[in-house]
Amino acid sequence: MTHEQIHERLGEWLDGELDGSASAAASRHIDSCAACKSEVFRLRRLGEALFAAPAAADPRSTEAFVARVMARVSADTVSSWEKFAARFLAPAFGLALAGLLFTIYAPRPEADADAPLGVAALSADASSVFEAAP
Amino acid sequence: MTEASDGELARLAADGDDGAFAELVRRHAPRVRALCAATLRNADEAEDAAQEAFLKAHRALGRFSGEASFGTWLHRIAVNHCLDLLRAAGRRRSESLDALLDADSSVLARALTEPSPATTLEDRDAVARMLNRLIPDQRLALTLCEVEGLTYEEIARAMSCSLDSVKARIRRARAELLEMARHFSDSDIV
Repeated sequence: MTHEQIHERLGEWLDGELDGSASAAASRHIDSCAACKSEVFRLRRLGEALFAAPAAADPRSTEAFVARVMARVSADTVSSWEKFAARFLAPAFGLALAGLLFTIYAPRPEADADAPLGVAALSADASSVFEAAP
Repeated sequence: MTEASDGELARLAADGDDGAFAELVRRHAPRVRALCAATLRNADEAEDAAQEAFLKAHRALGRFSGEASFGTWLHRIAVNHCLDLLRAAGRRRSESLDALLDADSSVLARALTEPSPATTLEDRDAVARMLNRLIPDQRLALTLCEVEGLTYEEIARAMSCSLDSVKARIRRARAELLEMARHFSDSDIV
């Protein structure tokens, strides 16, 4: 690999992402190249400066975190039921009610004009049942 | 008594066992919180993001097939959530921040040239703000590499992109940050 090729891949070398022979070639070159050595120093320092190790988490804070997540899970579950009810149950109830009202009040040709249709149909059905009985 | 595996707990949680899900949260909270903190650099946002990642995982438990480990699956959810937040923050970012970020560049330049990296809280914050200059995909790839120590292949899986994309994102992220610092550096480094 040329200097340019190695210089381009110094980050990968630093991250251990070059394969064995490429990594060995890069290591040999870096040892003898001031510009690449300087760039490796800057890349290392960049990582240290940007991503300083955070403090270890307090186990008590983990338990508090678990409690907060579970409270949200619980609220989310309730809210999911509410959404389900709003999306499916309410329209289903509305349709069922509309169907019931239609059954009761829809005009039927053979019905008595003065009686509500559902009642007329019901009385007609009932009389046929009584007639069929022994 | 043997401890239940993540997969077993996930199956129980999917069937409505909240205790099982709480145990999964307990096991994976440190890593998810660390990822969100390193990525978002704002304690409140990071805490909320970590909770949201677990909430999304809970909603999606029915779709967890068990092919990947629960940890990998959860990590991917958290990575995607952080990426969404970074993209949204990028859209909100105003040009008025540029002056502040220029000042931060000079702090980064100092951190790269001085014998020891930035140690004051203000300097650390300033250096960390430099990450705001990066586009979200570059920033996240670099964070996963530097903080979590993931291999490029693991990052590609977590970010659902190709290996070449990961290489390019990390290389460009570093090049851009070094270029900003170089702009404010009076002397070269040996």
